[in-house]
Amino acid sequence: MASVASIPFRRVTAKPGQIAAVALIGLFLAIFLIVPAGTVIYTAFTEKGTGALTFVNFLDFFRTDLFRRSFFNSVYVAGMSVVWATLIALPLAVLTTRFDFRGSMVIQTLGFVPLIMPPFVGAVAMQLLFGRNGTVNLMLYDWFGVRIPFMEGLNGVIFVQSLHYFPFILINLSTSLRNIDRSMEEAAQNLGSSGFRLFRRIVFPLSMPGYLAGASLVFVKVFDDLATPLLLNVKDMLAPQAYLRVTSVGLTDPMGYVISVILIIVSVFAMWLSAVAMRGKDYSTVQRGGGGLMRRNLSRGESIVAYGVVGFILLLVLSPHIGLLLLSFATVWSYSPLPDDFTMVHYARVFDESSIYIKNTLIYASLAGLIDVVIGGAIAYLLLRTKVVGRRWLDWAATSALAIPGVVLGIGYLRTFYGVTLPDGTPLATLWVMVVLALAIRRLPYALRACYAALQQVSESLEEAAENLGATKQRTIRRIVLPLMTGGLLAGFVTSFSTAAVELSATLMLIQSNSDAPIAYGIYVFMQSPAGRGPGAALGVIAVIMVALCTLLSHYVIERRQKAIGSAK
Amino acid sequence: MLKTIAAAMLVSAAAISTVYAQDGGKVTVVTSFSKDVTDPFKASFEAENPGFTLDVQNKSTSSGVKYLDEIKANNQVDLFWASAPDAFDSLKGKSLLAKFAPLVTGLPEKVGSYPVNDPEGYYFGFAASGYGIMWNDRYLEANNLPKPAEWSDLTKPEFHDHVAIAAPSRSGTTHLTIETVLQGEGWDKGWGTLKGIGGNLQQVTERSFGVPDAVNSGQTGIGIVIDFFAFSAQAGGFPVSFVYPSVTTVVPANIGIVANAPNQKGAEAFVNYLLSEKGQAVLLEPSIRRLPINPALYANAPEGFPNPFKDPRFQSMITFDSDVSKKRTDVVDTLFDQLISFQLDPLKGATKAIYAAEKALAAKDVAEARTLVNEARGLISAMPVTADEAASPQIRDAFTGGEQKTARQAELEQQWASFATKNYAEAKAKAEKALSLVD
Amino acid sequence: MNMNTTTAGLAPSPAKAISIRDVNLFYGDLQVLKDINLDIQPGEFFAFLGPSGCGKTTLLRLIAGFNTARQGSVVVGGVDVLDMPPWKRDIGMVFQSYALWPHMTVARNVAFGLEERRLPRAEVERRVDAALNLVGLKHLAERRPSQLSGGQQQRVALARTIAIEPKVLLLDEPLSNLDAKMRVEVRRELRELQQRLQLTTIFVTHDQEEANTVCDRIAVFNEGRIQQVGTPMGLYEKPANLFVANFLGTANILDGHVVGAGADRLFEVPGAGSIPIPAGTSVPRGAKLVFRPQYATIGSVAPGAVALAGTVTHREFLGATVRYGVQVGTASVLVDVPFHSGDALLETGTRTSVGLQPSSAQWLAE
Repeated sequence: MASVASIPFRRVTAKPGQIAAVALIGLFLAIFLIVPAGTVIYTAFTEKGTGALTFVNFLDFFRTDLFRRSFFNSVYVAGMSVVWATLIALPLAVLTTRFDFRGSMVIQTLGFVPLIMPPFVGAVAMQLLFGRNGTVNLMLYDWFGVRIPFMEGLNGVIFVQSLHYFPFILINLSTSLRNIDRSMEEAAQNLGSSGFRLFRRIVFPLSMPGYLAGASLVFVKVFDDLATPLLLNVKDMLAPQAYLRVTSVGLTDPMGYVISVILIIVSVFAMWLSAVAMRGKDYSTVQRGGGGLMRRNLSRGESIVAYGVVGFILLLVLSPHIGLLLLSFATVWSYSPLPDDFTMVHYARVFDESSIYIKNTLIYASLAGLIDVVIGGAIAYLLLRTKVVGRRWLDWAATSALAIPGVVLGIGYLRTFYGVTLPDGTPLATLWVMVVLALAIRRLPYALRACYAALQQVSESLEEAAENLGATKQRTIRRIVLPLMTGGLLAGFVTSFSTAAVELSATLMLIQSNSDAPIAYGIYVFMQSPAGRGPGAALGVIAVIMVALCTLLSHYVIERRQKAIGSAK
Repeated sequence: MLKTIAAAMLVSAAAISTVYAQDGGKVTVVTSFSKDVTDPFKASFEAENPGFTLDVQNKSTSSGVKYLDEIKANNQVDLFWASAPDAFDSLKGKSLLAKFAPLVTGLPEKVGSYPVNDPEGYYFGFAASGYGIMWNDRYLEANNLPKPAEWSDLTKPEFHDHVAIAAPSRSGTTHLTIETVLQGEGWDKGWGTLKGIGGNLQQVTERSFGVPDAVNSGQTGIGIVIDFFAFSAQAGGFPVSFVYPSVTTVVPANIGIVANAPNQKGAEAFVNYLLSEKGQAVLLEPSIRRLPINPALYANAPEGFPNPFKDPRFQSMITFDSDVSKKRTDVVDTLFDQLISFQLDPLKGATKAIYAAEKALAAKDVAEARTLVNEARGLISAMPVTADEAASPQIRDAFTGGEQKTARQAELEQQWASFATKNYAEAKAKAEKALSLVD
Repeated sequence: MNMNTTTAGLAPSPAKAISIRDVNLFYGDLQVLKDINLDIQPGEFFAFLGPSGCGKTTLLRLIAGFNTARQGSVVVGGVDVLDMPPWKRDIGMVFQSYALWPHMTVARNVAFGLEERRLPRAEVERRVDAALNLVGLKHLAERRPSQLSGGQQQRVALARTIAIEPKVLLLDEPLSNLDAKMRVEVRRELRELQQRLQLTTIFVTHDQEEANTVCDRIAVFNEGRIQQVGTPMGLYEKPANLFVANFLGTANILDGHVVGAGADRLFEVPGAGSIPIPAGTSVPRGAKLVFRPQYATIGSVAPGAVALAGTVTHREFLGATVRYGVQVGTASVLVDVPFHSGDALLETGTRTSVGLQPSSAQWLAE
């Protein structure tokens, strides 16, 4: 026994800092996500009228043909959107990363633009181009006597969603492709593989983690998106059903909330599934150095084909924005391939007001992006670098925000914070800060993914070296981790910022006055009347340009930073 | 870089927060009206009432009602301003509106046959709106379609796949249109008409404005809309026309003071302004084009502008019974959703099959086939509930959650949906059989 | 490229001893370090040698503070460091990947640890200069790590560590990312530097040649245990078990069994013959006969030696020696014979005998 006593057991030293971080982030998520969403979703578990707890509503969900059909439609649409988004993203990603292709930078930036689709105007523009009597169909009908139902039914939703969300795959896949060790490809070539087989057997499998990350985001976003199906008048999908039921006058129907719960479960399940699929496949981080894939030169014929393909895809994915631009200059555009005439009056109309919208949007979206990067970065650090209890829960909770419909969150904020007042009697919920928090919560999952990927790229030995030389954990984070993650953090910030800048669903409930309104709200307000279509589109164009400029700027900063660091050998 | 952004943001944030401090006379209004409507009123009101500023919060009618309900404990809104009278009724029922007696007097009691104001003084009509049919001239011309005039025209084969409507569960104004048809034609015949139109629908939109938007851009040819959508689109230069069918009604668009308004004085000032001649005149602006509630204003109205107080067609309009409507609002909306909106493809498929059979029958009549087609039509127009059942407390409780345990809404919806699925499938089969008999 | 020959500017503290007692370490249920007890003398250049996965790097990281043991102690210079966080330990480590921070210049990298110690700016600069001088890279101070060759990166990593004047120096496979020629050059420089600084140093490697050439003493690891501790020569001459014998240098290992007792004990190799076991030699249970190729002869049998019958299976000419492969019973035995000009060589297939002095044989168990 004496020998046992002389060898006292040592506990793994508790890290109060980490526990505090988990507690703080947990508290933040609880107050601004779980409680507000919970107060709304709670209805799903209550009996109408009596308010007693029950699961019967969930049984009703599966007993109802409409909901079952909606469920399968949603899965189908989300799945097919992933397929089409892949077909769009793959050529762009491969050409820009694997070939010496002029304009790669432009493509990578333009490829991001579809994500910045202001509400309403984007869909209106798409209808004017691809709708039953849109530009394309009117011309097709004129020339060939046929119409193609681009925008009708589930296929229409798939069409619009793949054009909107493919950047998620493009961004993640490109990053993954760039991080593949050159020797991997060389080894395959050495063993006699080349061309498409080389891509299919080596390059694509190695880029799988990035692809899966992007594809799962696309799936979840499409699965949870309500705006596009609703604007195409497709109602038998889950998210629109939830929205219609939650927002209808006078109805205290629990089914809307039941659907919300099911949306959340499916989304978290999908993210979990992709996490499981990626487990043990972080090839890109195992092999560092070598400096990425070889870039091949294109032959003349290949060049023509490649530029043709890229040009076609870019034209397609940017068509909503082209339509938007036309609409913003159009006088009347009705049942004709192009507007009757062009004018600048819409811009003049919005000129005075747009400055306040732009200011608000910049403030809200950048604060939201900042909050997201801080919290997302912290969660990513806790996940990847510590074993502290509860870190997985933070991850799941933050990710579940993807699936919580904006309306649900908006109503939840009103319910939770309207009763809380400031000393002067102003309800907390009416402060513009609440809009920022709602935006931040809604965009947190994107930032979290970006931070996670960025931190994964930082070799742990770089941190250990700092600790070994006397830097504490905090100092190491400040001096080593943060500088090395800057690119990734900035990427996360940009994603959060640019998508928050055009977000409407959660903010619509919370905006208290025009002077607090972001640009998406301004667009919404204009788009309620025939005369507002042009000014709404003009605001939309301003929003897109503003966000695209910010994106371009940060791309430039990231690029410069990357060059300064050099490809870390 | 981030530091600079943060600093910039803090500065701007400070700039924003100062806005709050200034205005003592802020009148906050929640409205479903677009900027094109509210901006002229805001400008004119602030000019007429120095010291007051109008703060407009845009929300759809339904989310506005929900919003007022959510914030009632600490209300910061002075006015609710929207079209659909039933939304105001709903607010009144929840005690979210305050009583008020406007200074402006001498306005008519009724427009068409609809009372202008809430009899108890909780909300006031400020403009009249009629429901009707709007179409895109270019579209009709390109597709060689006649101009519709009555609801029943929209059930004709030539309009198949050319009509749009907003879901009544989403659009208070469309709900009133539906209810008008049901009251005007009776429950069974009315639903027959509605399903006949349903079989011709190209889309059921989720927002009221979705319909005029689709007609304006020419994505759809014909829309069932509230009049001012068409008038303002015309004023904006769009190639569209509008007609009031004979079975329709004119109802007032309303304004009401929210209970416990933080700025009661300001709220009253705005109501009084809105009903005054100055306020009423704004309604005639091209971007608004609503029918003023003050008959005197029509003297200045543009050529061809309808006058609900003079035009004979408005006098013959049906009496809209809002009590009947109120009792069955949820049921009617849900029936429309379950039988038409969510069954659009089966319904259109069956309707198309019937059209094909009838076309063949017109060329060569076969008695047996004629019977089958009539049966098919009967199946389509059949209803799962009668008018009395629709207003019964049992069914109503399923939607509102009564004290007594009743069927749950979800169960009723499933019943109705499967009723529709089955009937439409059978109707289609019969029509196809009829066609094969004729050929 | 040569390192400076003085330690000017860096004032190493008196060398520290390292004493490890009863360390056991688990990854979940898997025990990766078993009953580690080890004493390293002040100023000693010590190697952890073993195949990959043997626990050598784990123990090194434990000393540096990146692993935590449930029990035991690690005493460096009289202080138990096991409960200290890495940044309090003052134990310098050079990482296998060098772990140079790509966002800092060479000079910033080297200055990092000094800045963390809140040294005055002038002192930081002086010591950065000194450390870079020591590794001969003063002229590259403003470069980024990505602009350096592998050998230069390695030196920067070393300079960065030495700059903080650590109590002890840990080197995790420092030569593995260098080409063969560089490796020989750098390992000699490492040895010189260590001698000059008189810094207690632990060198982790899987390469016995590296360990033999630079280290005073070696601990041989296998499967989480220290198999043997000793000088390179001691380990080669007197391996404690079959693993050590086989891991260090080439060894012939023959199965067999002991017959007889007392002074007449024989070790019988089936199908080849038997060899007397010298008096006083202990033969553990299940032990095998072990001898180095150069201690055996082929063809001729010297007085006192025994002959094991066999057949030549292959022959390799290595310059100074000729290595024969001989099938002896079921085992294949290597015999190295010095080569002299004009020697007649045995052809493959020749029946011959392998001569072995019993005194140069060992009997070792697993």
